[in-house]
Amino acid sequence: MQDGRARVAETSGRVERPDGIGIAYEVFGSGDPTLVLIPSAPIVHSRQWKGQVPYLSRRNRVITYDGRGNGRSDRPAEGAAYTDREMVDDLVAVMDATETRRAVLIGLCIDGVWRAIQLAAEQPGRVLGIVAFAVGVPLLAPRHPWWGAFSFEDELPTDEGWAKVNRHYWRRDYAGFARFFFTEITSEPHSTKQIDDAVEWALEGSVDAMVADAEAPNGRDLAAIEGVCRAVRCPMLIVHGTEDTCQPIARAHRLSELTGAPVVVVEGADHMIPGRHPVKANLLIREFVDGIAGGAA
Amino acid sequence: MVRAPERLTEAAPARTAAPGTAELRTAERPAAAEQARARYPRTTGYIERDGVRVFYEVYGSGEPTVLLLPTWSIIHSRHWKLQIPDLARRQRVIAFDGRGNGRSDRPTESAAYDEREFALDALAVMDATQTPKAVIVGLSLGGVRGLLLAAEHPERVVGAVFICPVYRGGGEPLAERAPYSWEDELDTDEGWAKYNKHAWRRDYGSFLEFFFGRMFNEPHSTKPIEDCIGWGLETTAETLVTAQYASLPTPEEARALAGRVRCPVLVIQGSRDEIVSASRGIALAEHTHGRLALLEGSGHGPHVRDPIKVNLILRDFLHRVGGPR
Repeated sequence: MQDGRARVAETSGRVERPDGIGIAYEVFGSGDPTLVLIPSAPIVHSRQWKGQVPYLSRRNRVITYDGRGNGRSDRPAEGAAYTDREMVDDLVAVMDATETRRAVLIGLCIDGVWRAIQLAAEQPGRVLGIVAFAVGVPLLAPRHPWWGAFSFEDELPTDEGWAKVNRHYWRRDYAGFARFFFTEITSEPHSTKQIDDAVEWALEGSVDAMVADAEAPNGRDLAAIEGVCRAVRCPMLIVHGTEDTCQPIARAHRLSELTGAPVVVVEGADHMIPGRHPVKANLLIREFVDGIAGGAA
Repeated sequence: MVRAPERLTEAAPARTAAPGTAELRTAERPAAAEQARARYPRTTGYIERDGVRVFYEVYGSGEPTVLLLPTWSIIHSRHWKLQIPDLARRQRVIAFDGRGNGRSDRPTESAAYDEREFALDALAVMDATQTPKAVIVGLSLGGVRGLLLAAEHPERVVGAVFICPVYRGGGEPLAERAPYSWEDELDTDEGWAKYNKHAWRRDYGSFLEFFFGRMFNEPHSTKPIEDCIGWGLETTAETLVTAQYASLPTPEEARALAGRVRCPVLVIQGSRDEIVSASRGIALAEHTHGRLALLEGSGHGPHVRDPIKVNLILRDFLHRVGGPR
């Protein structure tokens, strides 16, 4: 898995969670503050950050890990293994295993952003700041209509379009779902490489994990989620594309209202900003991190 | 039917001051609003030869100067956009638009497109920019101009780089192109039958799509293809038809030119070149006793499609001929 990388990890390891699930992590470079790039698991794994790691690790210690359900981490197949609680605790476990007391957390969509916010609210001492791409905090604003257009649970008479977000279709043709989904959410011109990469990472994962993740008993409610957001005290930068097909930009603006964090609106960008617009994403991260470091000094 | 890139429908940018008749001539064609550049030229200017004005740009500083030669007038100097910002960090870089595209004139006489005219344009640009000597770099048809310069004006050429060169002095033509006449009416427009005078006039856009699709045959090439189609639309089928009648060195002449080259030579050749057979570039490296960098799996535009790889190879060659590390 190290072949052909612009930068290889200095150290790598694996931390075992109390439920027996192993989480694989990698550490690149050195320099404070440490940056933790949170995976969008289980649909993809840590390589989603390949456009960030070589640049950021020139000046900072950078940690990536594979979320449960993909990459070199274990792939539990029960919904209970994919709750918000477990995902946040995976992040904490990786920080503990790498002796990272505090870090800047960088994430994309629900898997990245929501977990970073939860940790910042629960353990403010461990989170120096958050860069939130393509904000996926559940319920903060209505999801795009296509997400709910077809039943996930029922057998459908069609496989067309968003009907592919369906557990039966996933089991019939997970590759078909992955190709459809990443093509939809990476709609800028000249995105074929980013789409191919994401499909490949998805296929390294497990459809059982994806189904289990969809079944995770989270019992989320809006009031509680807004309360968590309001509790965040660390600096945060929100970055969202005007064409985001996965997460509505209204969620970014609502998160901004709840936290006071500024929003960088990326004109014309769809969901996968760090992958599709790496230079812009990297410069935004760099500026944010330098701002925090300057403020702390 | 080719869809013009969006930028072509935008307002034309302010042009570099171009007084006189050339401005009148250039004003007749749609000027593309240019994409943002990673680096802008230090100076720009025109040379004029026999009433034909040729536009050049100068970037950076440091010896030796790198002169980026024009290729076939189907595109202009922006195809070097991924080399200029890297090279210009360490040395002086000059690029110019070949006659027939970009901000240069579109002469209407075929003789104005003779290969020697392009070589003479290069020398005139060097003179105008006070450049006694340079490392020359040419793509495809630019290799013919480069060969003329290196063989016939050795005192001006420190080193010569040929990327996927047109070189009739050795190697084999591309088999799939062979069956189709450029001149005659064909009974098909499929594939390489599009490389045909009548097909160009009937549907130039369709030819551009085909040609650049073959040029960039690697996966994930939509951006270079779209860029080149846009640059191709900055000239016309008629201009390319005119240029097609210009004279090219015969195979014997090309072979003799290669034998006269004394400067260091580097040939960068894609192994999957589907425009000019890779055997041409391999032969040119042999005949000039040059170094061959054969890029496995690359097509006809490796400097665009694999810019970092090509830039590092260029940097290494430039260092060998006296450039900085």
